[in-house]
Amino acid sequence: MQNATEQPNTIRSYYEGLANGVFRAIACKSCGRYTFPPTGCCEHCGSWNVEPAELSGEATLLFATHNITPACHPRFEKIAPYVYGHLQLKEGPIVQAIVVGVKATPQDLRELFERGPVPAKAETLQMDDLPVLAFRVTG
Amino acid sequence: MTNTLRERVAISGVGCSRFGDLLETPELKGTSIQELTARAVKEALDDAGVSAQDVDAVFAGNAMVASSQLPGTYTQLSKWIGTQFKAGVHFEAQCSTTNVGAALAAMSIAAGVYDTVLVYGVETTRTKVKQFSPYEREPISHQQTWLWTDMAVNQAYGVPQGYDIFSTYNGLVALGYCRKYGISIEDFDRGMFELCRTRRLHGSMTPKANIQEKLEDRAAREGFSDPYDYWQSDKHNPFVAWPSRLLSLVTTADGASAMVLTRADLAKQGKSEPVEFKGFGISYSDLPWYGDDPTYWEFDKRAIDAAFGMADIKAADIDYLHTHDCSHISSICTAETIGYLEAGKGLAAARDGQLRFDGNRPMSTHGGRHAFGHAWAASAGSDTYEAVLQMRGKAGARQIPRPPRVSVIHTHGYAMIGTVVVLGSL
Repeated sequence: MQNATEQPNTIRSYYEGLANGVFRAIACKSCGRYTFPPTGCCEHCGSWNVEPAELSGEATLLFATHNITPACHPRFEKIAPYVYGHLQLKEGPIVQAIVVGVKATPQDLRELFERGPVPAKAETLQMDDLPVLAFRVTG
Repeated sequence: MTNTLRERVAISGVGCSRFGDLLETPELKGTSIQELTARAVKEALDDAGVSAQDVDAVFAGNAMVASSQLPGTYTQLSKWIGTQFKAGVHFEAQCSTTNVGAALAAMSIAAGVYDTVLVYGVETTRTKVKQFSPYEREPISHQQTWLWTDMAVNQAYGVPQGYDIFSTYNGLVALGYCRKYGISIEDFDRGMFELCRTRRLHGSMTPKANIQEKLEDRAAREGFSDPYDYWQSDKHNPFVAWPSRLLSLVTTADGASAMVLTRADLAKQGKSEPVEFKGFGISYSDLPWYGDDPTYWEFDKRAIDAAFGMADIKAADIDYLHTHDCSHISSICTAETIGYLEAGKGLAAARDGQLRFDGNRPMSTHGGRHAFGHAWAASAGSDTYEAVLQMRGKAGARQIPRPPRVSVIHTHGYAMIGTVVVLGSL
């Protein structure tokens, strides 16, 4: 039986980076834009001429709402209802992700909405079986 | 890309089952998924005045195979609908399935490959096969339905990291709409109430709808003299993605729909009044579905432009519109992108009754995804079914006073396939 060498796996690499607080993406050498989370080609122009990149995690939280209980996915049952946000990263990509540090109540979400876009910072939320991307409001 | 159908194509027959629950709903209780499909197909074939052996090909749609357990749908159902030995394929485009099927059929007819094509879609989002029984079914839990449904959504990074359909489709879009147009949360809530009221009114006049009870009647049944108090009740209508509430959402259903497409010259010799399939547009996108403006979805705009270009119509030509409304606020945004409603005025149009069957901007007269119900792969066909009935003047109590001559049907195949179909009088 031949020894098989483990092949590169972009998805595994992303989550392994996330476990260490690294936000992996790809940068396109053709159009200069980022694809986050990473794939094998540029999501904007379709070029395969891409290289690995790490993003800062700095973002602007544009809107925030919440999910339901029980969560659609069992992974998140323990933290539902959670706040779910629509964000733009400093480097450009739009991201939707869990927002920590804000209560999933109409009162808190209304207060956040009335403040308008606010700065946020990416962090890692460790679930039982997987590290996932989350953001915390910073200003 | 020429974006042209080289020959004229028509829908000559349509069929649709009642939407509901195979374990509970009158007219459906105890029905097998095979018989459910056959019911819609037989109605479409009878409507067209053809037999199953008169069709050249069969495009069989089913999205959530985990609940139907019918992969190879074309053969598994062929002896139930009489289409053995025909060309065929099982395909899915999620909640756009049946209308994408109509587009595939139109292309094959316009190319001269087939003369007549049967398209059907079947879905069971409320019930699933019970263990290994060939005929018994059991309910699907809410969480199981979305786990299976969300298999169509980004499985690398979206769903694993907490993606939520209700937030993405409702709450975030609602907040984007309110901020963009300066609408207060209170006015938004009232507008959504009025929109639900319209959808439920339409459902109450549609014998095949899943929910046939007006919102006012439901409120009274629950002891509310003011239906808006019922709407704002946390017990009966909680926030599922603030500021969006439960009754602004999709209602799951089991159901089937079907249509027969044929060459326009053949359709004129058929049994029922044909409707021209004038054009279509399809565009898809993975998450995120929108950029910094949650009210504008680029793939929808591209699908709209392609369909309108193929059909050579403008927004002002539309007499009847259905937009995908498993999220009511999203459906308003799409109608505004199309240009059927004025930007930022969609909720006001709902409040003024303009979206009712008897209003000047009729929409979703069968009750939409909320009242008619949503059976993923069958639903786009139910929208087309309704449009054809309206254009024939055969929609019963909910008939638009002046039957539409141009109808547009927009659907979202989940996660996301923006699909737009244009129908015209032949």
